[in-house]
Amino acid sequence: MRVNWKPFVLTLVVLLTLFPFVYLVLLSLASQWRFPALLPGYFGLDNWRTIWASEVGLVSSFLLSTLISLSVATVSTLSGFLISRSVAYHPRKRLLTLFTYFPYLLAPVVLAACLSYFFLKLGLFGNVTGVIVAQFMITFPYSLIFFSSFWSERTKSFEELVFTLGGTRRQAFVKVLLPLARGMLLICFFQTFLISWFEYGLTSIIGVGKVQTLTIKVFLFIKEANFYYGALSCCLLIFPPVVLLYLNKKYVFNKLV
Amino acid sequence: MKNRRLHIGLLLFVLIGVLPFVSAFVYAVLYSVGLAGVVNDGFTLRFWAAVWNSGEFLRSFGYSAGIAGISVVVSVSAAMWLTLQFKRELQHRWLSFVIYLPLAIPGVVAAFFMVQLFAKSGLFSRFAYHLGWIAEAREFPDLINDPYALGIMLAFITIVTPFFVLLFLNVYQNERVAELTELAESLGANKKQVLWRVTLPILLRKTWTLIGLYFIFLLGSYEVPLILGQESPQMLSVLIIREIKQYDLSKISEGYVVAVIYTIFVSLAAVLLFYRKKSTTDAG
Amino acid sequence: MMLLNESLPPMRKFLLLPVMIAVLSGLAACDTPPAEENLIDATWETIETQAQGSVVNFMMWQGSSPINDYINNYVVPEVKARYNIDLRISGGQGPEIVQLVMGEREAGVAKGQVDMVWINGETFFQLRNIQGLWGPFVEKLPNSRFINPEDPYLSIDFQQAVEGMECPWSISQFALIYDSARVAAPPRTLPELEAFVMANPGTFTVSNDFTGMTLLKSFLAELSGSPTGLDGPFDEAKYERLSAELWTILNRLKPYFWKEGKTFPKEHSVMDQMFASGELLISYGFGEGGIEDKVRNGLFPTSTRGYAWENGTILNANFFGITYNAPNKAGAMQVIDFMISPEAQLKKADPNGMDSNPVLDVSRLPEEWKAQYEAMPTRKYGPSMSELSVRSIQEPAAEYMIRLYDEFRTEVIEK
Repeated sequence: MRVNWKPFVLTLVVLLTLFPFVYLVLLSLASQWRFPALLPGYFGLDNWRTIWASEVGLVSSFLLSTLISLSVATVSTLSGFLISRSVAYHPRKRLLTLFTYFPYLLAPVVLAACLSYFFLKLGLFGNVTGVIVAQFMITFPYSLIFFSSFWSERTKSFEELVFTLGGTRRQAFVKVLLPLARGMLLICFFQTFLISWFEYGLTSIIGVGKVQTLTIKVFLFIKEANFYYGALSCCLLIFPPVVLLYLNKKYVFNKLV
Repeated sequence: MKNRRLHIGLLLFVLIGVLPFVSAFVYAVLYSVGLAGVVNDGFTLRFWAAVWNSGEFLRSFGYSAGIAGISVVVSVSAAMWLTLQFKRELQHRWLSFVIYLPLAIPGVVAAFFMVQLFAKSGLFSRFAYHLGWIAEAREFPDLINDPYALGIMLAFITIVTPFFVLLFLNVYQNERVAELTELAESLGANKKQVLWRVTLPILLRKTWTLIGLYFIFLLGSYEVPLILGQESPQMLSVLIIREIKQYDLSKISEGYVVAVIYTIFVSLAAVLLFYRKKSTTDAG
Repeated sequence: MMLLNESLPPMRKFLLLPVMIAVLSGLAACDTPPAEENLIDATWETIETQAQGSVVNFMMWQGSSPINDYINNYVVPEVKARYNIDLRISGGQGPEIVQLVMGEREAGVAKGQVDMVWINGETFFQLRNIQGLWGPFVEKLPNSRFINPEDPYLSIDFQQAVEGMECPWSISQFALIYDSARVAAPPRTLPELEAFVMANPGTFTVSNDFTGMTLLKSFLAELSGSPTGLDGPFDEAKYERLSAELWTILNRLKPYFWKEGKTFPKEHSVMDQMFASGELLISYGFGEGGIEDKVRNGLFPTSTRGYAWENGTILNANFFGITYNAPNKAGAMQVIDFMISPEAQLKKADPNGMDSNPVLDVSRLPEEWKAQYEAMPTRKYGPSMSELSVRSIQEPAAEYMIRLYDEFRTEVIEK
């Protein structure tokens, strides 16, 4: 009789998936862990306690990252939703969408390097506003592309139905379009939040090291070869998205294809 | 009234969606021919010639494309296999959350994690030491910052595979592949035929564009090769930023040359993928 | 692209062009002349008053935890308490600083992103080239009277006269380090290095950064035949001759380097880890090798020793500069003055802390400080600068560094 290997492989896959999360938490609790020791010299809450020390600046980075990502996600989701309508109903829809793909596909760090002159000129270099604007420039195309499938003939006929029945533009929007798009808006918000939350290269260039988001901190600790603080900031970086995922996973993938 | 709104929308679209990209491109072109930049003094093609002659761009491009290509192929294959083997199991309540977890891991963290596991003084090296396989850290094989970019590819595969699993699962359900498979079987197709003639074509045709997109994303990725790559050759984004941020101010323009070529390539890829996408949406 | 343009709807074609022109020309129009320079003539009292309660942006290299600790946990709270100054640190070193200032020059930014920067020779050289520094300001600082203006290591940076355009902060010698429990006789000359790497393959490398290039300058000086062989302005012919020799040697030894010379570490901080794990037998660094805190933290074994090259290693100072468009020059001067105060310099020299040599001339200090400086605790593990400085060489002209950087990549890494 053949042994059923499936449960083993599946268990392995699950363990591999969970491993990074567990390992990073453990590493963030460790210090003095030198080769070839299998166990760290110290294991406890010391690193986490130092988070609160203002000099490490992790709390302020966490708040800063949250502020930036929430702003970027809100603005790009809403503007993408509204502006994609103009694009979708335009006779040259496909060509316009093509233009959106250019910045969408380009590496953000390269875009930032080539744009930094303009950001300097506009006084948007090295400050939070600049980083938000720059990140918005890469999340906007995403959101635009994301919503392009929403404005279908079906949606259009719904809108027209409202007008036929004597409804106003506002009513069409609030009573019909928003409820229709609710799930998509949530996903888009979540995805653009993640893009912003995880962004490093563009932020490092436009923020000139002055806007210290969590990803910038992780890099700083890696450079300093301070792996325990590195792990700590990695934890701060990955657990908020985990919570968000848990909250709206049912929406996240339904509309991706 | 209605038209005006559409026009405002279009104007904003151009301002936010098109203008930054065009400005960045124009600036990079100007810099690459010496028309911008404090230390440059007028039009010249010598930076283009220098980049062309050094061959570094082509090496970097080939290297990046190789890494991105292998990573995408491995990830797609692994994800496809996992999806087809475990499509039922992965829909259980608990597991269906677990498979979303990797989405919470960004490139920076994946790269950091790879260093912790595979560096010569990392976790696996410690195991090897205690198992008596190696006597010193330096005997542990090169898995990060290594000439074959194993570390980079491993990190890419770690990030991208879970995404494709979710994608394929989704398409599998939406396209009713299970029903189609049953139908094919009832018409006398064997398992192999079903796989190669029904399941794979449906899944791949639906996801072709996204697979292409991921290739482009990986090609331009920055953080992972920055941490896990070696000094030469380097992946495109790392090369471009290094050239732009180098000590020798007179050579910064060479970085913009590479940026211009890369941007053109990406734009062409966008055109290709876009038309490809049209044909798939038409078909589907 | 042509084809795409052809099919643009007329309205769009119409829109894009004027918008682009408007934005580009609008951007070009905001070139404004640099801010007032009257601070140069202001009295220190005026500067102090102006600095009170202001924000100072300080860009520095943040790759070392004892340095970060000194800045974040000592300097930042102190200047807040004394002058109510908010000192904000951002990460960035040599090329990044130059790029930033250059970008701001190009874009005509009147109020720059940073006020003060931590730099040394080659960055100073490049910032001077693009007129990126403001000054001379050093003589204005009250505490600068404790610095000996005749000291060649403090008044000449990479063969360029400092002329008050940057203020010295620390001085240190570059040193090589080894573990005396594992290596009996570390190499002190290039021929010895050759024998060493052949006997111990995989245990030596050159980091592709500032630190590694400083080592290469010592090698270059050795090839020149004397510790003073590279002094004076940049000499193209001499560089060509010596560097050709150096690349030949390095390429010959490369197969015996770490990872068979197929790759080189990007940053020196990685080398510390590799030295700690025993992967490397030889490492090196500024601050007389940077051993003290690493032994203290248990990263390096207590048997770690530092030493200088037979023909000498680089002895140099690092400095603070104020950018030409610093929005808060007064605040920057106040902070710099504090950082060269006897108190801050003494704290900085603490072997249990940042462990970095003061730039103050002890004989110029008031009596009470003199006593404290003389009673300063000494290092337990690392060598002191006075032990090494018999084998020291001056920084050669900045062009040597810039060329080495470029050619180490093309001639060695990519070969």
